[in-house]
Amino acid sequence: MIRLENVSLAFGDKVILDNTSLSIKKGEIAIILGPSGAGKSSILKIMVGLWQPDAGRVLINNKDISKLSELEMLPLRRKMGIVFQGNALFDSLTVKENVAYFLREHGGIKESLVNEKVSEVLSFVNLEGTEKICIDELSGGMKKRVAIARALSFDPDIIFYDEPTTGLDPINSKSILDLIKRASSRGATSVVVTHILNDAIYIGDTLSVINEGAVVETGTVYEMLRSENKFVKDFFYEVFQDAALLQNKIL
Amino acid sequence: MASSFITFKKKILALQEYSLMLKDLFLSIKSINKCKRDAINEMYLVGSQAFLLVLLGGAFVGIILALETGYQLDLFGAKTLVGRTVSLGMVRELGPTITGLLLAARTGAKNASELGAMQISEQIDALRAFGTNPVLKLVMPRTIAAMVMFLPLTAIADMSGILSGMVVTKLSLHVDTSFFWNSAISALLIKDIFVGFTKPILFAFFIATISCFYGFNTRGGTSALGKNTINAVVVSSLTVLVLDFILTKIVWELL
Repeated sequence: MIRLENVSLAFGDKVILDNTSLSIKKGEIAIILGPSGAGKSSILKIMVGLWQPDAGRVLINNKDISKLSELEMLPLRRKMGIVFQGNALFDSLTVKENVAYFLREHGGIKESLVNEKVSEVLSFVNLEGTEKICIDELSGGMKKRVAIARALSFDPDIIFYDEPTTGLDPINSKSILDLIKRASSRGATSVVVTHILNDAIYIGDTLSVINEGAVVETGTVYEMLRSENKFVKDFFYEVFQDAALLQNKIL
Repeated sequence: MASSFITFKKKILALQEYSLMLKDLFLSIKSINKCKRDAINEMYLVGSQAFLLVLLGGAFVGIILALETGYQLDLFGAKTLVGRTVSLGMVRELGPTITGLLLAARTGAKNASELGAMQISEQIDALRAFGTNPVLKLVMPRTIAAMVMFLPLTAIADMSGILSGMVVTKLSLHVDTSFFWNSAISALLIKDIFVGFTKPILFAFFIATISCFYGFNTRGGTSALGKNTINAVVVSSLTVLVLDFILTKIVWELL
């Protein structure tokens, strides 16, 4: 479904991605995991076509998007939903207008169907009755839900999440992660970029650990926990440490 | 030396980026129908809300022009020609230029800060990511609105300048209003009106696109937003003055 082949990206002297390859299967929740500044969000922006790589190919459904122009990318992007780290909601609009925005923009849909779809996705993210509220009046967790509702509104084939739980309290984080799982069960492929290990383990079908612009290892949670790679071991050390800490507390 | 070379290189790159944005803008003309509603909203913000500013700006420029030229012409016993000077000055030069400068500040700051804030909060990336062309959505309506609304605003500035010039000429220089009016109207030729109303269309195009370009290219935090808004106003204002010079020169050479 999504394949990165030997992708490289640099801004001036700073190498962001270095010959990175990655493959994501249809329908799975793929996690791109790594420390801050590792190049996770850059991979996501390249997959969406917001950035073009300096070298390599980016294949979405076997179509190479790495050299497509902005106008050529537009129809492809209409099959992708993205939840930005800072939500990127239109703050001058209401919840309903935000969720309906792209349905109306892409055109060809009757207003009654737009209303129906907005109600459906708002109900899916447990935000019924918030249609007329302005974005500024929402809490961080609610804004994230609206951003997810907006991404789901036109039933995309792929949904990208950039650090979906950053800045949220544990309860809101858990509900957003559950929402990602439920959204994925509707059939969409989900790509989640995060640095939070527990989130990755909780929702991920496959995990790709990235460091210094390169994918270090890809596999299931089980495979990661048994990895012999030093960086992966160091990164997953937190899990064992937390488990040990919890055990000590209980005892 | 090295740093000035880097600055020069950045300016060339910015010019290239601006040209690419203009190319996108021209390619989007075929989808112009999609931004009709946004363009009308922008027309209200750019046009109706700038009415008082342009009216007062034009009026005071007309008053100053009438007084300054009136006192000088009076030395030669030609103060009845004030009307001619004011009407030609307002229609050909000062009306379009003052409107251009006032709107470069008002519209330029509005466009750059709005789009800059959208860029910082990833709203422009969101538009792109969801398959909306941000140039068509954000730049096109602002450019259309400016090009449409600058014409009536310039006419308002011209008229308020000439009328206020007429009042002040009557009160301070004791020139009869009929003398002023006759001299003002008879001095104006079709080519003056053509020049006076070609300038605002060009000014509007460059003010709108330059300010949107600076908004689009805001990177970093709030300080970058402030800096880019200032740059948008400065570059738009300078462009208005340079274009005014070029057009005036062309007109004197050709017409």
